[in-house]
Amino acid sequence: MMDIVYFEELFFTLAFIIYIIASLGFFVFLVSSKEKVGKFSVIASSIGFAIHTIAMILRIIESGRLPFSNQFEFANSFTWAIVLCYLVIHHKYKFTAVGGFVMPLAFLMMGYASMLPKTIKPLMPALQSRWLTIHVGTAIISYGSFAVAAGLSLMYLINERNKDKEKKSSHLPDAEVCDYLSYRVIAFGYLMLTLVIITGAIWAKKAWARYWGWDPKETWSLITWIIYSTYLHLRFNRGWKGKTAAWFSIIGFLCVIFTFIGVNVLLPGLHSYR
Amino acid sequence: MIKKIGKFMIGFRFAIILFIVIAIYSIIGTVIPQGATKEFYLHNYENFGNIILLLEFNKVYSSFIYRALLFLFLVNITGCTIKLLPSQLARMKEDYFPAPSKNIENIWDEKYDTEEFRKVLEKKGFKTYKGENGFRAAKNRIGVLGSSVTHLGIIIIILGSFLGNMFAYEGFVNLLPGESTTFVKQGFTLRLDDFYLGFREDGSTEQYYSELKIIEEGKEVESKKIWVNNPLKYKGINFYQSSYGWISDLTIKDKEGNILEETRLKNSQHYFYQPKHLTVYLYGYYPDFAIDHSGQPVTITEQKNHPHYAVVLYEYGNYVDSFITAPGEPIYYEDLEISFDDSRLYTGLTYRRDFGYYFVLIGCLVMVMGLFLSFYFYPRFVIVEEGTILPITKQNIWGYTMQLKNLLSSTLSNRGEV
Ligand code: HEM
Repeated sequence: MMDIVYFEELFFTLAFIIYIIASLGFFVFLVSSKEKVGKFSVIASSIGFAIHTIAMILRIIESGRLPFSNQFEFANSFTWAIVLCYLVIHHKYKFTAVGGFVMPLAFLMMGYASMLPKTIKPLMPALQSRWLTIHVGTAIISYGSFAVAAGLSLMYLINERNKDKEKKSSHLPDAEVCDYLSYRVIAFGYLMLTLVIITGAIWAKKAWARYWGWDPKETWSLITWIIYSTYLHLRFNRGWKGKTAAWFSIIGFLCVIFTFIGVNVLLPGLHSYR
Repeated sequence: MIKKIGKFMIGFRFAIILFIVIAIYSIIGTVIPQGATKEFYLHNYENFGNIILLLEFNKVYSSFIYRALLFLFLVNITGCTIKLLPSQLARMKEDYFPAPSKNIENIWDEKYDTEEFRKVLEKKGFKTYKGENGFRAAKNRIGVLGSSVTHLGIIIIILGSFLGNMFAYEGFVNLLPGESTTFVKQGFTLRLDDFYLGFREDGSTEQYYSELKIIEEGKEVESKKIWVNNPLKYKGINFYQSSYGWISDLTIKDKEGNILEETRLKNSQHYFYQPKHLTVYLYGYYPDFAIDHSGQPVTITEQKNHPHYAVVLYEYGNYVDSFITAPGEPIYYEDLEISFDDSRLYTGLTYRRDFGYYFVLIGCLVMVMGLFLSFYFYPRFVIVEEGTILPITKQNIWGYTMQLKNLLSSTLSNRGEV
């Protein structure tokens, strides 16, 4: 058992370091436009992801369940999902620059995870449900997508600013592409978020007799959902694009982060069994 | 005037306003503590306290204002959907084909073979229509209903939860093993055969188990062991494992050992012994007693490794003394012997019957289907004529254009191979 814990921590730290290197690499790529540096960063991200995955698998073996039950495990899985979503987008669209805006988010989230207590605790009774797996599984995918969307929106905003300066950097994909892609990624994340809320309600019904109880976490997930609903409606019906949409996407992601971290720290709720 | 208001009420702008107002009101509910006493708000928020009470920020989610907002939302979304539906149904028909807007990218190139392209489109599920000098193709017409289906799902959810809550039947009951409670209207009795905790090796609690029996007309009709996340369901009522506690026997004797009083107390309950104006307050029972770093009594586990009671005495309402005692160990007070013993676990069961839940589930299913239609099965059209290939869609023109470009280049590679 001791060995597994040791290797898990080793791989976790290794992945963390590689993510930092990848982020720095992307930064150099953005500044210098050297194709090779960009390629190197993508490869580093992939290797980091593979090592991170091993660390996750070791933890799953160690605890005998999915790593979805305390703040450390959730932050860790969240990071994993951000990198996963990034790599999927990368392999589909091949926009190297996206990494420069997403990998820093991943390494920040992992940095947050590394500050949390890592002890493996058995699941408390209310968490012993297969709905937990689906609920948290969809949550990390949804949050990961919103992170990638926010990165794309940031990229769009920077692109827009550069446009005036006449030295439009060639390695950033077109502003329009960023704009559309972030919309599509948000649509996917929104669908996932809807599933998160639904599976959460089903689980709450089984554990606490009510499917919705206005617990701060529940309420904030609803608020996040309303924000993205507004985004989608304004975009679809009012043709909202560009700057406003990009800012909205970034605000939405801040809301996601608050739901994820802020609520736990500032607004204690009922997510415990007494 | 009234027409104008009506139009606004089911209009898009009002929907956005409602979204924002509901979001802000919900946020307030997570920032200001909910359900406390009036004095609490007046005391802690000073002048703002009155505003809190006036705008019902002390009970946001059950307030009149919140319900009114939800009602307006319901009117808005229903009206909006009904207003849209006819045009959507018209757009689903075979003879509808949208006109291209001006800023559409023409993805035609003379290297493409349009006949080959038509075949590929048909393989991909497009329906093609012959035109004067080319053809048109369409796919996923059904997707136009996506938003309406989504909205319908939401309407079902809101109505279902409203009605469900209105007719919900719920309550809470504490039972000791052997005790039962009768549901007169439903005509059955619920009996608790046993209640116990499951422990892990390290002594921490793993699960809470209640063994329940349903008795109808003297006959046992159902029996089930329930735990958290695994309720018992009978006649539409769900029984949930939701809490537990310890109950202890209190004995008061005189000097000679004659029993003066015998009763049962839960933690934080008190007993008033009239002859002496003495209040015996059971602060808590600690099966595995310890003192934490702030000097408070705590229990390390729920196993009876080191049981103790924390007891406080009051006379005429004034504090007298507090004690930590073992089971059966008497506290001497004047000429009385006060002791606690025989602590047993009782279970806390929540029960609830709520048909609204099933409506909510159906609504969720409908909503998710609608979202899939909107995002992934949106209608796609294309006009192919000599010199023009125009992709047309409302939802995702960029992704769709890219998709068609890929399809077009696949026709090239097909040709290359032959
Ligand atoms: C929380 C509630 C709501 C949800 C989840 C929701 C969801 C959706 C979705 C997913 C779409 C498709 C948009 C896209 O593909 O980008 C849509 C479209 C639309 N929604 Fe909503 N909606 C909600 C409330 C409302 C309300 C209250 C109105 C009332 C005015 C409204 C009006 C519309 C309109 C006009 C469309 C465009 C329909 C079309 O032209 O096909 N929505 N909605």
